[in-house]
Amino acid sequence: MISFLSPLFLAGAAAVVIPIAIHLFYKRAEPLIDFAATRYLRRAPVEQSQRRRLRELVLLALRAAALLLLALAFARPYLSQSAVALAAPATMVLVDTSVSMSGPGEFERARAKALQVIADAPIGHSVGVLSFGAGSTSVAPLSQDRGRARAAIANLTPGAGATRYRAALARAAEEFGDRSGRLVVITDLQQTGWDGADQGGVPDRLTVDVEGVEGPTANTALTALRVDGPEAVAIVQNYSSRMVTTEVVFSIDDRRIGASAVSMASGGSAEARLSLEGQASGRLAAAVDDRQGYAADNVRYAVLDTANAPLILAVTASGNPAESFYLDRAVGITEGPGGFRFRAVSGPAFSDLQPPALAEASVIVILGTRGLEQRGRELLAGFIRSGGGVLITAGPDVDPAILKGALNGIMQTSWRDREAVPSEKTLRFAPDDSRHPVFRLFGGVGTLGNVSFSHAALIDVPATADVVARYSDGSAALVEERTAGGRVLIFASDINDRWNDFPLQPAFVPFIHEALRYLTSSRVAKAEYLVGELPGLEGLTPGVTALKNDARSRRVAVNVDPRESDPARMSADDFRAGVSRLNATAQREASTEARDQEDGQRLWQYALLLMVVSLAAEGMLGRRLG
Amino acid sequence: MATGTRPSELRFLDPAVLARLGTLELKARTVVEGFLSGLHRSPFKGFSVEFAEYRQYMPGDDLSSIDWKVYARSDRYYVKKFEEETNLDCYLLLDVSASMGYGSRGVTKLEYASMLAGSLAFLMQRQRDAVGLTTFDDSIVTMLPPSARPSHLRSLLVTLDRMTLGNQTNVAKPLHQLADGIAKRGLVILISDLIDEPERVVDGLRHFRFRGADVVVFHVMDPAELTFPFTRASRFRDIEGGDELMAVPSVVREQYLGELNGTIDRYRRELGAAGIDYRLLDTSEPLEFALMSYLSTRGKGRK
Repeated sequence: MISFLSPLFLAGAAAVVIPIAIHLFYKRAEPLIDFAATRYLRRAPVEQSQRRRLRELVLLALRAAALLLLALAFARPYLSQSAVALAAPATMVLVDTSVSMSGPGEFERARAKALQVIADAPIGHSVGVLSFGAGSTSVAPLSQDRGRARAAIANLTPGAGATRYRAALARAAEEFGDRSGRLVVITDLQQTGWDGADQGGVPDRLTVDVEGVEGPTANTALTALRVDGPEAVAIVQNYSSRMVTTEVVFSIDDRRIGASAVSMASGGSAEARLSLEGQASGRLAAAVDDRQGYAADNVRYAVLDTANAPLILAVTASGNPAESFYLDRAVGITEGPGGFRFRAVSGPAFSDLQPPALAEASVIVILGTRGLEQRGRELLAGFIRSGGGVLITAGPDVDPAILKGALNGIMQTSWRDREAVPSEKTLRFAPDDSRHPVFRLFGGVGTLGNVSFSHAALIDVPATADVVARYSDGSAALVEERTAGGRVLIFASDINDRWNDFPLQPAFVPFIHEALRYLTSSRVAKAEYLVGELPGLEGLTPGVTALKNDARSRRVAVNVDPRESDPARMSADDFRAGVSRLNATAQREASTEARDQEDGQRLWQYALLLMVVSLAAEGMLGRRLG
Repeated sequence: MATGTRPSELRFLDPAVLARLGTLELKARTVVEGFLSGLHRSPFKGFSVEFAEYRQYMPGDDLSSIDWKVYARSDRYYVKKFEEETNLDCYLLLDVSASMGYGSRGVTKLEYASMLAGSLAFLMQRQRDAVGLTTFDDSIVTMLPPSARPSHLRSLLVTLDRMTLGNQTNVAKPLHQLADGIAKRGLVILISDLIDEPERVVDGLRHFRFRGADVVVFHVMDPAELTFPFTRASRFRDIEGGDELMAVPSVVREQYLGELNGTIDRYRRELGAAGIDYRLLDTSEPLEFALMSYLSTRGKGRK
């Protein structure tokens, strides 16, 4: 269908009356002479009147076409996919099957309302049913078969998905195609149903009505479950106007491992913790008993799996375990669920690593550069570019020239060795920015001040780097390089008890942990998804499912969207306002899309070209006519 | 050619003025009386059977006109001269096709032709010739057989007065019909604009010659037809067919005149070759020239 970006210019087509008027006037101006001896004229260069009239009509058509094409070109035409409503009108019921419809008796009321809408649909209207929750599904496509629609409604049950009005309305509009009609949304009018996205919209030929369904006013929901070191932590939220005390029951693979009681004030939340000592892996679940609220948010899942722990890969000079002894010890303390895995390799061994093995690592700690061949350097650069975190210790085994060459274009920071500090003037270090995640735990200098450095590298801090900690002489002790990929921290000394006593100080382990945690944060694989985020049926059911990625399989938890647990509602007017906002946005989008389409098609150029051709033909024909 | 020899005498009436006179009889009388009063009688002596005078024979005179009785009495050659008195049948053939309705200066070709026919009839009546009238377009419209009775002239003039324009010209068909109908040798006068195929017209007229009739053709043309004086680009609508032609006069004039003059030359040549007297008449020309042509033809026929 042809549409116009500036349809007002089409009014210019009215100018077509000018050549028509001229044509008529010209006809009158030309004298008509009755003559008897036309016989002797016929061989002269005269023109038969009929042929001339035809030519004049062609001329007129060409002039009119030129004007019309000019108006058309200015109106900026484009071909759009939109169609005119031609098919019979229809009524479609959109039934909310999200978590928030799972309150006691709530869905039965919704079902009754949906059936009533079907019964009230005007005779001749096609009817259809669309459920929306974790995605939008047309459970009864538009047809005259009302029995089928009623059966589809009877089979509907609330799921674990979240309310997404925008997606549901867009899908319904798709189902309507060219038809006009009415959309009736049966929902609990949950406030969180209008998501932030602004695509979609309902065409003008469809009217949207909403039928609100009363839901529970109180709800106790598990909104988070995570493994925090050796403990499982569940967060319980109380969405009611009174205080609630409940028990959170933890289980692994459906085997109860313990429970924790929590009390929450009205609208408040509480953490329930349980030690996971002795538990290595499995499906961790936390559950509360809430019979007044929504059923689907009473349980939450997490994956307990050491294989998911981030891998710290230390590159040492020779591969001797002694070269990474303190780091290994510091990391090893937290091995297990919620901790780290550790592996140390020599420079040559690192250079031989295959990309999948390297991709498994979350952080690379450079303790030595000896034997780091060209391939190893390229691997290191690629690792950072792909988002990996690197901790460089500017110790005695690390050659700044090798790293500068390897990370050319990624890291601008360089350093050089400096004289050993006399024992009476040992350096101390303190955070330059105590809000940095590495030092947040220390709350200022704290125990870090006890570390004494006898030897330190002198870092030249470029504009692309930030100083995170400084030595007592003011030089940089810890620098973070800002890269386009992963994070890079440069520590201006070693961490293996050679240039300082840091590994012997209590601050060492938390420092290493926080630094590694900070470096891994950009690389840690997501372990929890909301219902509907993963494809397939597994993604629609809360629980734990296996996720295949690059021939590796890892387990992830699928939980309901915590926003669904909030029983706060909006009014029907608020809902309609949301539809209006959506439509306004859709119109803006359509306008932009139309502009893009028109820009891509450039039909106006063809119209102008045709106009020039018309004018040229008109000129030639007119000249021939005299 | 009549148009090329327009006299300067003002005693001849302009046909446009003449056309505004009352009845056709009056017009005819005006023309003929005026014409005859200005003529010297001598050129027409010898046309009549009524004795006029004797004259001494001169070499070159027709031997048949020598009066042998006088020669017997006087031993001299005398030639008898007569005044015309005839029982000649004259057929006026008048084209009333639609194209004859054209006139650019107050008088149409048909008006001119009817005045001419009336004048000729009047003149013939005075000379006691029997005169008949046939009007035609693509077929014969009216037909009055020749008669010398005075009352016949009146009915002939009334017929001329009541004439209306007919259809398209088809000269050949009625000519053949008439030629077949002529029982007696006579004089056939065709008054037409000859807008037809020259070949067919000449063929039809030859038919009369074949029947032994003398034939005079008055080719009546409007001055606008003869000069094509138009200046503006115009649509020319054919009076007969209604076809319209768009033409720029300055562009087509030369070719038009060439075509017209070619046709006139062809008529003159082919009709002359057939022994038919051809006169081109311009409707702006006084009728007297036409009468003069008639009388000269009449004279030649009697010699």
